[in-house]
Amino acid sequence: MDYSNLRRQAASMKRGLFDQGYLDEQFRQVEDLQDEASPNFVEEVVVLFFKDSAKLMSNLEQALEKYPRDFNRWDAYMQQLKGSCSSIGASRMKIECLSFRDNCGQGNVEGCMGSLQKLKREHALLRQKLESYFQLLRQAGPAGAATRPVM
Amino acid sequence: MDRRRIRVLLVEDEEIHRVVARAVLRGAGADVDEAENGAEAVRLVRERIGGGGGGAYDLILTDRQMPVMDGHEATRRIRAMGVATPIVAVSSDCLPSDVHAFTAAGADDFTPKPLTKEKLGHILAKFQLA
Repeated sequence: MDYSNLRRQAASMKRGLFDQGYLDEQFRQVEDLQDEASPNFVEEVVVLFFKDSAKLMSNLEQALEKYPRDFNRWDAYMQQLKGSCSSIGASRMKIECLSFRDNCGQGNVEGCMGSLQKLKREHALLRQKLESYFQLLRQAGPAGAATRPVM
Repeated sequence: MDRRRIRVLLVEDEEIHRVVARAVLRGAGADVDEAENGAEAVRLVRERIGGGGGGAYDLILTDRQMPVMDGHEATRRIRAMGVATPIVAVSSDCLPSDVHAFTAAGADDFTPKPLTKEKLGHILAKFQLA
């Protein structure tokens, strides 16, 4: 198997994630924390992020139903989710979080619902792309997974 | 001569922020204790200065919004114990009013989440812990 080609593909995939705005500089900061002592740190953080963010979105959806027009409560959930997005550099998701919070500030229920739907789409897209990326890294072999991938 | 590792208390309820901050701190050579809320932080600080825990922390990093006891109240209570350890708020709440509320409670500095190597470098340099 051509491992160097796989690593090039992974690097290209990652470049695409940055170029298309899915990820920002914070993702590189997280990569920088990966070392021989924690060779899978990035993937572990990303897995934790998706688990965390799915739960937060579910809590928010329940709050939208259970507490109609409670913009303060909705905003508090979204602030938490935005913070979580910031931790891995999930840039497009963060934008939708901000949009939701703006809509809360304006008391715009329809706007909030729309933002949440967009956020869920971005969440699913990012998850799919990062899963593909890490799968490719794993195929590229231990060297590809344990060291910072080449951009 | 080996430099003593700095002892940091990280106060943060959300796991993802703890995981990232822990890695940043350990990467900088710090020994890290963690508290998931302000009450636990106050307890750990009290334990440290009570003689059973090896002396005061060199640095406390705290979030604001946490269950049981928030970062403002934890900061106030730690200061009320006479603890002079630098306390830095690491929070998503970044409005001037949020920063002011933390400094009014006794915090020494504020940095927005997430904690990065660069932000930690500034903090360590500011408080001469580098």
